[in-house]
Amino acid sequence: MDSREPLLIPLDACGQWDEKFVGGKAAKLGKLVRAGFEVPRGFCLTTRAYEAFVKDAGITPAIRMELGRKSMDDMRWEEIWDTALRLRAKFLSQPLSGLLREAVTEGLRGLNADASLAVRSSAIGEDSAGRSFAGLHESIIGVSGRQAVEDAVRLVWASLWSDAALLYRKELGLDPTLSRMAVLVQELVDADCSGVAFARDPRDMRMERAIVESVPGPCSLLVDGLVDPDRWELDRKTHAIITWLPGQRDNAQHDAPLLEPCDLEQILKTLLSVERLFGWSPDMEWTGKSDSLTVLQARPITTAVPDQDKKRAWYLSLRPGDARLKALRERVVERLIPELEALGQVLAAEELDLLDDRQLAEAVETRSAAVARWKKIYWDEFIPFAHGVRRLATYYNDAVQSEDPYEFVGLLRNQPLVATQRNDAIARLGRQLAANDSLRSALERLLAEYAGALHWSTFRGELIGMADGADDFVRGFDDLNERFLDVAYDQARLHDQPEPMLRHLVELSRARGQSSNDVAMAGVHVEALEMRLLDAVGPERRDEALDMIETGRISWKLRDDDNLLVGRLESQLLRGLEVAAKRLRDLGRLTGKGHPDGSHAKTIIRALREPSNATMRFEGSVKDPGAGLSCTPPGETPRQLIGQPASPGVATGAVRCIRGCVDLGRFQQGEILVCDAIQPTMTHLVLLASAIIERRGGMLIHGAIIARETGIPCVNGVRQAAEILKNGDLVTVDGHLGIVTVGAAEFDLEMGVEYT
Amino acid sequence: MQGTDKNAMNYSDEPLFDETDAGNTPDARTNPAVRDRIRTLIDEQPYAVLCVGGGGQPYGALVAFAFSEDMRHAVFVTPVATRKYRLLSECDHVALVIDNRSNKGGELMEVEAVTVTGRSHVIERGSEFDRWSGLLVARHTYLKSFVEATTCKLFRVDVVRCLHVARFQEVNQWIPASHS
Repeated sequence: MDSREPLLIPLDACGQWDEKFVGGKAAKLGKLVRAGFEVPRGFCLTTRAYEAFVKDAGITPAIRMELGRKSMDDMRWEEIWDTALRLRAKFLSQPLSGLLREAVTEGLRGLNADASLAVRSSAIGEDSAGRSFAGLHESIIGVSGRQAVEDAVRLVWASLWSDAALLYRKELGLDPTLSRMAVLVQELVDADCSGVAFARDPRDMRMERAIVESVPGPCSLLVDGLVDPDRWELDRKTHAIITWLPGQRDNAQHDAPLLEPCDLEQILKTLLSVERLFGWSPDMEWTGKSDSLTVLQARPITTAVPDQDKKRAWYLSLRPGDARLKALRERVVERLIPELEALGQVLAAEELDLLDDRQLAEAVETRSAAVARWKKIYWDEFIPFAHGVRRLATYYNDAVQSEDPYEFVGLLRNQPLVATQRNDAIARLGRQLAANDSLRSALERLLAEYAGALHWSTFRGELIGMADGADDFVRGFDDLNERFLDVAYDQARLHDQPEPMLRHLVELSRARGQSSNDVAMAGVHVEALEMRLLDAVGPERRDEALDMIETGRISWKLRDDDNLLVGRLESQLLRGLEVAAKRLRDLGRLTGKGHPDGSHAKTIIRALREPSNATMRFEGSVKDPGAGLSCTPPGETPRQLIGQPASPGVATGAVRCIRGCVDLGRFQQGEILVCDAIQPTMTHLVLLASAIIERRGGMLIHGAIIARETGIPCVNGVRQAAEILKNGDLVTVDGHLGIVTVGAAEFDLEMGVEYT
Repeated sequence: MQGTDKNAMNYSDEPLFDETDAGNTPDARTNPAVRDRIRTLIDEQPYAVLCVGGGGQPYGALVAFAFSEDMRHAVFVTPVATRKYRLLSECDHVALVIDNRSNKGGELMEVEAVTVTGRSHVIERGSEFDRWSGLLVARHTYLKSFVEATTCKLFRVDVVRCLHVARFQEVNQWIPASHS
């Protein structure tokens, strides 16, 4: 770092500096100011200011530790988001040095003291013709006052390491030791309308056409996709209007264009002047009409092909703004969830045995279509709405600036999740068994007798005759089964497989009086956290903060409930398929011991509709998911696995891998729960577990949250956890550090092995 | 199995970026076998810290080493008038620590290390000597006269296990005897 390089450069001087000091956005705007274009006044905090900040705050080693913890190719988006959140918290928790604060103060001195400001990223190479990284970094508008500017600057710096930027880390060439970011602070310009203009049509750059888009109000409404713009195509040579397409805006008259021909003429002239100045065709953000036309940004039109990576594009679409989040909340809560619940009930009530073959085919088809439809809704609407929790996280952290970036999770406690209600029902039955030795003994005897071939209708009758209180227990179990176990897991209906749950209840009853975990242990007080947030935002933003908390809670509850509710539809599809399969078997048209799953729906529907079809065969598979999988080469064993410290504490115990339905009944008190990903269908096991290890990573996923609520350690994001670890392996889970140690620290091998 | 069957309905699981089809999972792509990583490390690094103990006193010394192709054996040489030789005479349990740090700082996550444990034996001059000394000298030609000096002893370590450490805390064990 050269100490002669300034921390601050006024915007009008930025054009004289290399992009590596002021970033692409500021360099281009600086050149425009010098060339006489109207540009909002502002200043640039250079990349040297960023360097000084990260050096003073010791952030570079933190970034290296975060990014080196695990190959990012092995991370799911939740982990990438968590990584970005921790880095963001690191940036926010460090104050600006005296020198940097002086620079900000000096910069603000040159601006209107009462002006509302925009604080924007000006990253190196972010606006190149080859590829646009627009939207990966933060821009904060409506900032006023020195402290607010400092906070915004830190947020913009942190966005160099945002989740979106980390997704494009390879294309961006992100490097903890080399990457830097300049920040542009500009006065906001109030105007009746704003927009974006392209000197050439981005769809076909050869055509002599320019494109202008305009919305009423600030440009952010257009850039964020909140308002549909009016759109014009203009002839670059004659400046004639070729087409006008009015925007679809609610409650507005669209028969008159937002811009007059003279306004369009001014925009086109400006576009072409910018093109001559830079030598490339610009994509320009602008505000104000005619003489007050102000250029907000100019960059080369991106000529790169659209992003072929659908997963990344999907993820980027997942970050709804506050307005979209609110609309989603309304739709999800008021329409989608009630509809999904009602549909599940309707399907469950349908008596499929009474239907003839054609009706049954129709019922299966309806169920199959319902699953497909709701799966799409799940991806298109439920998952984006689930980001409400993450929005709450950033809102809380920005306001409270807590050292613990996950402190806000306390606000999500004690939500009436469907899974919590189910777990309470399970716990009640467990207590009933614990208090009735003769009932428990009877249940254990019957379970031993019917192991692997338990039919509930017969079983329940026998149990009732064997012990006092059994009828009450059986009724409770029926209720549990109907209300909560009509879900699919591992391609099977839990409802039809009572044995694992009965075994779990026996184990739970044994654990009563010992130390089975209780959910919702004390610790963080929800009310205290609420007060902390409300104090931090102040009375004028109280309602906004309460609304944000509410959205976060609903979003979190939905994230758990939607799995179970959609799982119920799957369960009902499986029920239809089973009824159909039995019917076809009875007719000799289906052979084999296999059970149908969703992928067989079309075949089965066809078979029901066309009795002349050939005989089908579903091969049964001997499935014992708990048997274990080995994915390590000979001689290799993991000794210490690393993951994310998702819930603090240390526990040692034997591994129990959950890979399918059968495993749900094998879990014993004190074992370490190991799975690919804890799903709402299995959270009741946590009551018996001494720790959790899972492959799926993230601080806001089911396993992490329930582990923190029950006070047991959890390490997640452990690569291939459920493949590497085997049932019975002794492991120590360190939830403080995110480490799983396999086996004891033995040295007996060194005493004996000799090569011949 | 949850999470890997692409056709299974598994609602709670969103995609892993850069995930590719079966047979080329990110795990396989970014995490070569531990044995290969150890091989790379010992090929790149010429020196190891030899750890020995005797009379309850641990001791460490830097040595130039070479490994056999199957990684079941390592060789090094030491003058007999040294503390390490005396300790090796008392106790044949040894460890070798090999790492790739550059000491520039801030690189903790990039450093890889392997701790090799085993039993050491002196290779006396005879039919075996040329084979093992040749392995060492082929890698460290400047040690030729050193190896041949009568005041030096050539040691062969029969490797029992290798503990490979990456990313600060990720530890895997590899036992050469189990590798066919």
